[in-house]
Amino acid sequence: MAGVKYVGVSRVYAKGAAPAVDALDLEVKDGEFMVLVGPSGSGKTTALRMLAGLEPLDGGRIEIAGRDISDVQPKDRDIAMVFQNYALYPSKTVAENMGFALKMRRVPRDERDRRVREAARILDLDPALLDRKPKQLSGGQRQRVAMGRAIVREPKVFLMDEPLSNLDAKLRVQTRSQIAELQRRLGITTVYVTHDQVEAMTMGHRVAVLSGGKLQQCASPRELYDNPVNQFVAGFIGSPAMNLVSAPLADGGVRLAGTVLPLGAQVRAAAAREKLTELVIGIRPEHLHLHLVGEAAAAGGARADGAELAGEVLLVEELGADALLHVRLVGDAAVADGPAAAEAPVVGGTPVVARAEGRKPPAPGQRVAFRVQPDDVFAFHPQTGARLAG
Amino acid sequence: MAVLEDVTSPPAAGLRPRGASRREKWQRRLPLLPALVYTIVVTQVPFLVTLWYSFQSYFWNEPGGAHWTGVSNYKEVFTDPSFRSALVRSVTMTAIAVVVAMILGVLLALLLDKKFLGRGVVRTLIITPFLIMPAAASLIWSGPMLDPSFGLLNWLLEPFGVHHVAWLTTHAYGSVIVVMIWQWTPFMTLIILAGLQGQAADVLEAAKVDGANAWATFRELTLPHLRPYIELGILLGSIYLVTAFDQVKLMTNGGPGTSTTTLPFYLYQKVNFAFDIGGAAAAGVITVILTIIVASFALRMFARVFQFEEAR
Repeated sequence: MAGVKYVGVSRVYAKGAAPAVDALDLEVKDGEFMVLVGPSGSGKTTALRMLAGLEPLDGGRIEIAGRDISDVQPKDRDIAMVFQNYALYPSKTVAENMGFALKMRRVPRDERDRRVREAARILDLDPALLDRKPKQLSGGQRQRVAMGRAIVREPKVFLMDEPLSNLDAKLRVQTRSQIAELQRRLGITTVYVTHDQVEAMTMGHRVAVLSGGKLQQCASPRELYDNPVNQFVAGFIGSPAMNLVSAPLADGGVRLAGTVLPLGAQVRAAAAREKLTELVIGIRPEHLHLHLVGEAAAAGGARADGAELAGEVLLVEELGADALLHVRLVGDAAVADGPAAAEAPVVGGTPVVARAEGRKPPAPGQRVAFRVQPDDVFAFHPQTGARLAG
Repeated sequence: MAVLEDVTSPPAAGLRPRGASRREKWQRRLPLLPALVYTIVVTQVPFLVTLWYSFQSYFWNEPGGAHWTGVSNYKEVFTDPSFRSALVRSVTMTAIAVVVAMILGVLLALLLDKKFLGRGVVRTLIITPFLIMPAAASLIWSGPMLDPSFGLLNWLLEPFGVHHVAWLTTHAYGSVIVVMIWQWTPFMTLIILAGLQGQAADVLEAAKVDGANAWATFRELTLPHLRPYIELGILLGSIYLVTAFDQVKLMTNGGPGTSTTTLPFYLYQKVNFAFDIGGAAAAGVITVILTIIVASFALRMFARVFQFEEAR
């Protein structure tokens, strides 16, 4: 077992093009489950393939267990990989697929059989399937065989390239926890690539968020959620996504939905230092606390105590335990009209999503008002996207 | 996992799309009829005539025309040692040519599957022998290539102590096979290349990670993947080469002696030199039956290649 270390690793596919992976520095500890997450084209798969040796490095080096393996053949890296489409050998049976790497290492047949059966047992794979060809298996079974092929090896590092993306939603959730549990039991260092932030959050000990070939942030799921370093991470992690709104700076905070949303002193100081007139404000859906519903909300929006955001419910998504409210915040103009705004439809306001209790959510068309704790408001630099310290 | 296996049940019987009406069926058949009639006229009618002649004693150089002799032509064909040796020669020549062409085809396809500068040009050049008609190829080989005095091969081999070898006389059997291989290797290359390009890239990557070297990957994964393509190439090649006539006629004329007399050439001689229409017809019928047996295997193979996923 061993840790993995990327040191300034770059990959450029075409001369002059932007690098697919740009000077990546990342350290995966021994036995850690590291998830690389990011949208398409973020370089996460390229980073994994470079670790596997399927992609050359254009800069930097990769170490496994402290040994530079940048120029080592894949077969000599002591890794096992699970591919997105499983890449099972179609002409071989399940048992032959799982035992192939051992056969290539000239492990005797008895030993091979024993280890294949052991892996099948660990994965709850029916021994009757061992003699079948991959074509005769269901998607979930193929996924297990692909996992089995990796664990039979007992490698230093597991590499997984979106191994759940071809499963249906229910099986994906089930397999997700099984893989995480399996990794914990085997204690083998794992690098796992996914574009699904829920997978990243639920499986990884730590999560590395990539975008445009660059590492944005690498931290525990909790840390990513509570303390995103920039606007990209804030918007990418969390479902539904954080509400990100541009708002002009005002005395003591930012002006939003006809009211002034207070900001912490440090944030205000940082904004002043950067000479900003506008900020990007981020509020998670669950931090918009539903405060008033109906007529009171319409009146409340105009109240002067400041910390309330008023708006109109456009759509309610019932999730069971809770409900997502799609709300259009009241614009400054609408509020200026005073009491008449209660009747007039909200036009041109900022759309946000709020999480509310599932039992009795407001109905579409109703006026609502939210309260927000100043500590729950994230502020980002409008140009660089960097988090303003708060 | 067991739950997943059982949820897919076969579609209920009786849900088949309703059959087309009689009128619709004829509307579908009608456009096919001219082709069908034409095919019957040019293939089945001559075959029936051949079948009829095979039971007749009919020599062009004897007066009296044809008369019924029953199965005596067939008896004669089966007891004729030159028919049997022509049959054996056809089979061995075809087998050697097809197998060697396939081995070369696999090697060339493996090379052409790699990316390199000028690959398109090389591919086209490699395919050219297949585009040349067999008669022209035979003339190229019997003249400029294998001529004892002016041939390219002798010139190339001269530094190695080979002088004025009359290939078509001393090595007739081998020479004819070489030309067949030369013409059919491109075909095998094309089929295998198509097969290689149908192999999933991630499977090869998985093999790399699993520690397989190039030879192990070829033996364990690529060759099994290519199997149906190899079978198809061998069968199609066999069908064409077992009826090869041009090479024999133009290069060796069946000789020296009968050393290159293949089945088609034997039939040709029986008609054009022995004037034995009945005997040639009987030999032809036997050849057709043997070919049909081979061809039906080939057709099944076709179905397997094109529905490979389902067939396994």
